[in-house]
Amino acid sequence: MSLLTPEIEAMVGREVNYTAPEELGRAAIRYYAQAVGDDNPLYTDDEYARANGYDGVIAPPTLICETNQYAGLERDTEGYAGHGWGLDIPGTRQVRGGNSYTFHRPVRPSDVITATWTITDVRERVNSAGHEMLVINSRANYRNQDGELLVTNEETLIFVALEATA
Amino acid sequence: MTSAALAVGDRPPNLEKTIELPDMVAYAGATWDWHRLHYDTDYLATKGLPAPLVDGQVFGAYLAEQVQDWLGPRARLRRLSFRFAQMVFAGETVRVTGAVTAVEDTPDGTVVTVEQTITVVGEKERVAVKGATAEVVLQ
Repeated sequence: MSLLTPEIEAMVGREVNYTAPEELGRAAIRYYAQAVGDDNPLYTDDEYARANGYDGVIAPPTLICETNQYAGLERDTEGYAGHGWGLDIPGTRQVRGGNSYTFHRPVRPSDVITATWTITDVRERVNSAGHEMLVINSRANYRNQDGELLVTNEETLIFVALEATA
Repeated sequence: MTSAALAVGDRPPNLEKTIELPDMVAYAGATWDWHRLHYDTDYLATKGLPAPLVDGQVFGAYLAEQVQDWLGPRARLRRLSFRFAQMVFAGETVRVTGAVTAVEDTPDGTVVTVEQTITVVGEKERVAVKGATAEVVLQ
């Protein structure tokens, strides 16, 4: 049985928008930098950031691609409260393929983030062990309250069949 | 770091991180991601996993940190891509390595391309993130 059903194929082009209820904030930036162990003063010291061409502190570049702060979703039974496509494909397990980020402009504490997620492509593959895989590519564009494009995040999710087909 | 000093084959200093459970708890909080995979041992046992699983998204931060620290505060990361290979578990140490594969003058400034890998070090050495590429603009 093919994993690439008409229902899955019809998902291409599906779009979801989330807008954060408040500015990203300096504390969120400092918390993230501390959590990943990055002590670069660009993220905490306005004067240092200004001396290096910014208006003030900026967020570490990957922060808005990793946080669910903007989503405002209830956590599910597994504790997850981030964006998802609600896909539950029987007989498979989900793995993350990877990400490709394009940074258009620095993210500042005053930015109110809107994330627009779109499914760009779905396709079927077979891995080296003979297991069918459903590969779902999606893209998030993050903009601020002025409509400025901050970052684009292209993400690959893979659903691998638990049993080989052949 | 000025562009004149950079050449293909140059390597940034390795970046090493030991990821303890409190680091993972802090990261889960800082990213609003409370998935049980990252701390709940009873849940992990039902999934056949031996220990809390490190959220792979954190590796993007490590890749960015390595090139930003090396190329300095005026360097701007323009693009970053990476693919996940193997899972990493609480308490393990990862090493980020890299090498310059291109240095090009463009209208935006000098663009430096660094290919990076993240490896779990120790007795079960294995690749955690492969095929990572960072593009940094020097101005």
